[in-house]
Amino acid sequence: MTRRIMAVDRIALAVAALMVALAVVGPLLAPHDPYAVDLADALQGPSAAHWFGTDVNGRDVLSRILYGAQVTLPATVIVIAAATLIGTLVGTVAALGGKALDEVLMRITDIGLSLPSIILALGLAAALGSGLRSAVVALALTWWPGYARLVRTLVREVKDAEYVDAARTLGVSRARLVFRHILPNALNSLYVQTTLDVSAVMLVISGLSFVGVGAQVPSAEWGAMIAAAANNLTNGWWAVAFPGLAIMLTAVAFNLVGDWLRVRNDPTIREGVR
Amino acid sequence: MTSALLSVRDLRASYPGPAGPVQVVHGVDLDLARGEKLALVGESGSGKSVTARAILRLDTDATLSGRVELDGADLLTLPPRRMRAVRGARIGLVFQDPLAALNPVMTIGWQITQPLVIRGVPKKAARRRGVELLARLGVRDAERRFDDYPHQFSGGMRQRVVIAIAVIADPDLLIADEPTTSLDVRVQARVLELLHELTDERDMAVLLITHDLGIVAGFADRAVVMRHGRAVETGPVDDIYRSPRHEYTRALLAAVPRIGGDHTRPLVTIKEGGQ
Amino acid sequence: MGRFLLRRLVTSVVVLAGLAVVTFLMTQVLPGDPARAAAGRNATAEQVAEVRVRLGLDQSLPDQFTGYLGRLLHGDLGTSVFTQRPVLDDVAAMLPASVELVLAAMAINIAVAVPLGVYAAYRRGRAADVAARLITLLGAAVPVFWLGLMLQLVFAAQLRLLPLTGQLAFGQEVPKITGMISLDALLSGNWAAFGDALLHLVLPAVTLAAAFVAVVARTVRSSVITTLDSDYITLARSTGASELRVVVRHGLRNALVPASTILGMQLGWMLGSTVLVEAIFGRTGIGAYAVTAVLQNDLYAVIGTVLVIGVVFVVMNVLVDLVQLWLNPRLRQAGSRERRPEIAVRA
Ligand SMILES: Nc1ncnc2c1ncn2[C@@H]1O[C@H](COP(=O)(O)OP(=O)(O)O)[C@@H](O)[C@H]1O
Ligand SMILES: [Mg+2]
Repeated sequence: MTRRIMAVDRIALAVAALMVALAVVGPLLAPHDPYAVDLADALQGPSAAHWFGTDVNGRDVLSRILYGAQVTLPATVIVIAAATLIGTLVGTVAALGGKALDEVLMRITDIGLSLPSIILALGLAAALGSGLRSAVVALALTWWPGYARLVRTLVREVKDAEYVDAARTLGVSRARLVFRHILPNALNSLYVQTTLDVSAVMLVISGLSFVGVGAQVPSAEWGAMIAAAANNLTNGWWAVAFPGLAIMLTAVAFNLVGDWLRVRNDPTIREGVR
Repeated sequence: MTSALLSVRDLRASYPGPAGPVQVVHGVDLDLARGEKLALVGESGSGKSVTARAILRLDTDATLSGRVELDGADLLTLPPRRMRAVRGARIGLVFQDPLAALNPVMTIGWQITQPLVIRGVPKKAARRRGVELLARLGVRDAERRFDDYPHQFSGGMRQRVVIAIAVIADPDLLIADEPTTSLDVRVQARVLELLHELTDERDMAVLLITHDLGIVAGFADRAVVMRHGRAVETGPVDDIYRSPRHEYTRALLAAVPRIGGDHTRPLVTIKEGGQ
Repeated sequence: MGRFLLRRLVTSVVVLAGLAVVTFLMTQVLPGDPARAAAGRNATAEQVAEVRVRLGLDQSLPDQFTGYLGRLLHGDLGTSVFTQRPVLDDVAAMLPASVELVLAAMAINIAVAVPLGVYAAYRRGRAADVAARLITLLGAAVPVFWLGLMLQLVFAAQLRLLPLTGQLAFGQEVPKITGMISLDALLSGNWAAFGDALLHLVLPAVTLAAAFVAVVARTVRSSVITTLDSDYITLARSTGASELRVVVRHGLRNALVPASTILGMQLGWMLGSTVLVEAIFGRTGIGAYAVTAVLQNDLYAVIGTVLVIGVVFVVMNVLVDLVQLWLNPRLRQAGSRERRPEIAVRA
């Protein structure tokens, strides 16, 4: 069992790395122009010329998926980076800023945590106007409260640790204490959560694009591709199936990597409960 | 000594470890007559609890060998269904930590009556017997407290509940695994005294497991001393007190706090020592 | 008990107030003229001016917020520029169908995830456990809308086992009682329509449930493992109880405390996810309504759905707390400081 799962982890790491690599060099590998409309070649099934077939506009599905990685993955990374930044700020201030401030900030995060993010993001994206940029902003604005909670807990754990006390008695300045001693140690394990969140954020972004508030029509974003192909589900299933598989494969890979990081980071869960 | 109730021969137990099975009990022999009180003594980690759980085959991941005969029938080869009939009804087990041993989300009454209910005793009758038993064990207002939850009881009271669960189906043998270790010093003696009285009344044999030779004297007739998963010394308690043969037993005895340091006469006499 | 509930109720009120602020801000960030947005694209200048006064858009921001809050408290969520009806009426008409779908999905979720989690925990480390881990892994990674389309392709279009879209076959009639078609069919004794409505529910409900099964199964698995390792389970075994009884009667209730929290929260999340599911299956409901509203730039209709789902979510939270009180007697104790487990799982 253990050995089997370790093999799975290694494969996951490889797939996740592959997906990231594709996001960078994908366009170089794409056999066709992802935006080249060729109505004569529309809705062709998988073949040697088009491994994943063509969509209703005769565009090569494989090429679009390869280009799409450059839309979906960076958007996901931006959301998580922005949410981590806001969450770290709020969480740190809450943990170190005194009881009243803590209470106020935590009630605000409660609000964010107590709504399904897809709905909040949908509302915000609608208010900001449709488009991938709105979706990314909206999602970042709804995703940070989870990190705020986590960072607050981590910082509170670290701030009373002995080495921090030692630094404090040595007369280290408050800013230096926070940025050089507390935060680096507290955020040590934050990357585990951010990795685990990649798949969730990616799913919401593609979902928003699917319903039409994210990436817009000619874009090769994976969710938008599925939306555009859904009308021809029965006579062009490949244009729906393959972008979805791309999403799923990436999500599985990042989840496995996240799990692996979590176990590696926490020796107590190495055995038994996982 | 009348006929043997329990006879354990060359009991071995091992558990799966990261690098293959790890043996923790290396051949233990025990004999217990009907109504007899035997102490199993040894320092923490010597394999006493594993032995107790092995007799009842409670650890699903343990590999056991040897013989555990109850009235001549080997428990280690009994089919699961017949093994279940032994648990609770022929052999009861009292746990060390009553807080962990009680289910936090069930009333103590529900837990006490389970051994009867699963054997088809009607709920009403089971409840009546449970309340009686609890009252006998010194729980005041037993009828009303029957529907309370474990967290509403003190440590000593919780241990009485655990004892009630172990004896309610009237087993022939009670295994008490460090029944007083987790208790407040003030209630330890009282709980031990209750155990003694109750098992005498019901003519129950007792296997008292403890790391504390000091409590053995007034309680048991004979003792088995265990170390590193092996029984190293067996005999009447008085003999062991007076002339311990094994060096390890002497060390155990030296660890017993007593006034005067006289090993020839047990000072902690349960019956008189009371509350 | 009182304090526990009181604290949770205070939190709920704070969350509702926050929801009002957030949705108010949504009306403010819209690029362009909010009065024009509220009046609709084809409104005349007079209509826009009239809307401006009615919504108090000519007032200061705090005054506007007070007005907004007052309208919310009177159930005035604005008017949909698309349907030309009060948003509250629209949402109220749409909600039952979504609730029906969510309840069906929740039933599937529980029926699959709880046994799966228990079994995986019981057979920890063996083939069944590995299989369960695989299922939860895929469930957590599958895009909901894509799964819906794939299920349609296989079970409706290819195998023709289940209807492709809709809520009721053409020709079936059900009187409107609750607005949940299957329930209405049942109440009116129309068995054919009841069966048909259930068939129409299968694919969307499975689609909606898929992502949630993973989280529940994982939670149940780890809490069952913790439970099975506890002394009181060994004690239960030592009384002669059968393995099934040990696991189900002695263990399950403890093990379900964390799962019940998550299941309760998931009802709210599922209602949110109808956004991705209803339109695919041609169902009416609050999710399909929200999507149409977004595409029509019908801001007040969007905000109305956000508000209603938010309120449902808060109500679910209170219900979760009541279930916790029932499952966990320690919480019932006066002045208990025990908190319900924090959860960091998002769907
Ligand atoms: N379930 C188990 N799996 C593996 N090792 C165990 C298990 N239970 C006990 N052990 C090991 O067996 C040895 C004896 O333990 P135990 O019988 O509990 O000692 P004690 O005499 O204090 O009751 C210890 O080293 C313990 O680590
Ligand atoms: Mg022990």
